[in-house]
Amino acid sequence: MTAPTTSRVASGKGHEGTVFDIGYRNYTGEREGRSRSRMAIYKDGIRIALGFGRGGRAKILPWLFMAVLSAIGLIMAMIAGAAERLAGPGAAQQLNLPTHNDFYSIAATIMFVFASIVSPELLCRDRREGTINLYLVRPLTGSDYIVSRWGAFMVVFLVAAWLPQVILFLGLAMGDRVPLEYLQAHWMDVPRFLTAGLAMAAFATTLAMLTASFTTRRAYASVFLVGLFLISMPFTVGLAQEIGGMAGQWISMFSLLNIPLHVNDVIFGEPTELTEEAPARAFGSAALVGWYFLWTAGAATLLWWRYRRLTP
Amino acid sequence: MRSVYLLTLRQLSGRWRLVIMTVLASLPIIMAVLTLRDDDAPSTAQFDIVVLSSMLAGSILPLIVLATGAAAFSNEIEDRTIANLTLAPIPRWQILVPKLLATITLAAPFIAVSAFVTSHVAFLADGRATMAVVIASVAAVALYASAFTWLGLVSTQAIGIGLLYIVLWEGLFAGFVAGVRLLSIRHYAIGIMHGLDPRRFAQGSHLGFVPVIVVSLAVFSLFAFLSIRRLRRMDIP
Amino acid sequence: MNSDPVIRVDGVSRWFGSVVAVSDVSFTISRGITGLLGPNGAGKTTLMRMITGLAATSSGTVTMFGQPVRDNPPLYRRIGVMSEHETVYGFMKGREFVEMMGRLRGVQDINAATDRAIAMVDLADAQHRTMDTYSRGMRQRMRLAATLVHDPEVLILDEPLNGADPRQRVHFQRLLRQLAAEGRTIVLSSHILEEVEQLAETVLLIVNGKLAASGGFRAIRAALNQRPYHVRVMCDDPRRLASAIVGLPSVDAVNVDPDGALVVLSRNVLDLQIELPRLAQSAAIRLRRVEPLDDSLESVFGYLVEG
Repeated sequence: MTAPTTSRVASGKGHEGTVFDIGYRNYTGEREGRSRSRMAIYKDGIRIALGFGRGGRAKILPWLFMAVLSAIGLIMAMIAGAAERLAGPGAAQQLNLPTHNDFYSIAATIMFVFASIVSPELLCRDRREGTINLYLVRPLTGSDYIVSRWGAFMVVFLVAAWLPQVILFLGLAMGDRVPLEYLQAHWMDVPRFLTAGLAMAAFATTLAMLTASFTTRRAYASVFLVGLFLISMPFTVGLAQEIGGMAGQWISMFSLLNIPLHVNDVIFGEPTELTEEAPARAFGSAALVGWYFLWTAGAATLLWWRYRRLTP
Repeated sequence: MRSVYLLTLRQLSGRWRLVIMTVLASLPIIMAVLTLRDDDAPSTAQFDIVVLSSMLAGSILPLIVLATGAAAFSNEIEDRTIANLTLAPIPRWQILVPKLLATITLAAPFIAVSAFVTSHVAFLADGRATMAVVIASVAAVALYASAFTWLGLVSTQAIGIGLLYIVLWEGLFAGFVAGVRLLSIRHYAIGIMHGLDPRRFAQGSHLGFVPVIVVSLAVFSLFAFLSIRRLRRMDIP
Repeated sequence: MNSDPVIRVDGVSRWFGSVVAVSDVSFTISRGITGLLGPNGAGKTTLMRMITGLAATSSGTVTMFGQPVRDNPPLYRRIGVMSEHETVYGFMKGREFVEMMGRLRGVQDINAATDRAIAMVDLADAQHRTMDTYSRGMRQRMRLAATLVHDPEVLILDEPLNGADPRQRVHFQRLLRQLAAEGRTIVLSSHILEEVEQLAETVLLIVNGKLAASGGFRAIRAALNQRPYHVRVMCDDPRRLASAIVGLPSVDAVNVDPDGALVVLSRNVLDLQIELPRLAQSAAIRLRRVEPLDDSLESVFGYLVEG
């Protein structure tokens, strides 16, 4: 305790009332602006998504997802490597083993579940507990907030989407008898899977965050999202196949899981097991990509609009 | 117990929730009706797999029960209203049972009606097959309810864990590793369905009827017991 | 009034990992109003939760009416607890909430009991509205009604006057005194000195998880005044300052440390705080540092000074 500059007048010693300086000091350092606030929200978003700063338990789910996704990439690489070793070079391709273009269709459900669980953590808590009002009294607008949060989740999701593909690529290269030759022959896979991953990430994060923006209870948002992704698939695909024709094709377009996967197909030039039967393919690449952008941009606009209007 | 039961029903039956549950429960019905418009209706095995196993049992049923069951306690813990119940001079099982019953009462009608209409249409009014599906579905609701209610008590990440269980464990792993089916509620329910109507549902690997009943009862009781134990030992927020 | 202990806390500690929230606390509580006082973070709420059986103890025992509180549901028939959090269901009407709580606690004539409880908190007009339309003070009062509906012998109230306006405060204090006069045991926790001073006959002072003082409020104050505080003073000219301040009426004794610091023993630190700087200024001595050395009483020191 430093020397008190003055002491408070104890009760009973008179009826004066005065306020004394008891050591509070104003902040006299540099005051940074809006970009700093945005960066803070962004960094905080990354921490929330990865469970940092909230004890061991909060880290389990996000890291488990990362581990599972990476494991899938690793297993795919190992299977291909084993096939090469056992059945000679070129066996993996002959056996049509899953590779980069198939990864997202295999991992899609898991990735959507990951998005469903993390995005409510990023948005619902702040609205439920009112801390968003604290943010908005800073030099920060609602759109700053949502863009920063979205950016944070995109980064995390991209890591989750790209890392397994990188592992797969390196695994396939090293599993080949002449890795350099493999790299030379397959280097085009890299920009392909990076783009496909980006498409996947943008779609999943935007839709997940839009859903989370409608409720304050994390639980409902998560379950609703997963339900939406999981159930729309068999429902629309089954229905589409039954009804057939143009109506069937349109219904198939509403399988949410498939929307980014069709883009994946366009990028790699061939369909995956999940999408090859989809009637929607009849619409052609341009329509499918356009449909993807409609959903993603539409969801992004709606999300931005919901938060733009917020005031403290 | 009636107070807790009615309270939980009120807490879990928000308007939007009921709407979403209705929509979800009608999806298999729509599928069944449209699928069987044509003469070349899919065989029972295909229908079994696509609509019943993957859609209804695989996604709709467990998700509906997760949303209600996990919320039964975790909402109260989050809102810190659970002390209202635990500070009552009643044994802990009288807190759990009404919560569990409320979850089942809320979810079961949607699932049962969906299962009934779907199978009635699909199996062309075969009473035994329809009852088998309905009973198995309701049994699944009860099993999931007891598991997810417990999960809502022990973890703040109940929903995430529940989703992982449904999607990864029952969805992905059970397809690859046969042993996982021994620890999967979905497969217990499928086993019950097969056991109740072996002539129609004889195919596919499933657990024997009597063992699956025993295991189901054991699993239900285990989670109920764990929940009661948790209520007695936990620090109430 | 029977002064046998109703609540007995014996060697109770609670830790969360490496953080000790409550450390080896023992006391008894008899009928009447007892205040649990202490700064924020002192461990009051943890202690209250252990007294009500909501939280387990890491060591030690808590008994009420001779029975353990933990894992003993039938005891709750005799206890009413109001936590510091808002624990109401917004979608319920006030009366419904009180009725439900009464039913859960085994009240027989529920309508009469509810009427009585709601009348006690003066919310009869608002009882048929849903609680999400209530103000914070109204929710607090309805919670109190729900705590009283089963006519408990023991009331444990954690920060009950949070958010209460002055009029509600007066009403509440009157109510509590009346309840205590009927022979109930009331434990009230607060970090606001006046609240406890006006209501509690007995005070338990918790500082940093330990019991710092217990007994009648005035007696504690007096007891604190009996003990001299040790205050360390560092300045430019210790010996000159020492000879000056030894004459101050608030100073009992002055020691000079080998390193040149003064240790002043004083029983009236309030006056010392005024007189010391004045004296130093008039003697043109610069004070560098003034700090109390009694660690365990530091918060108490701060408390009494602010009060």
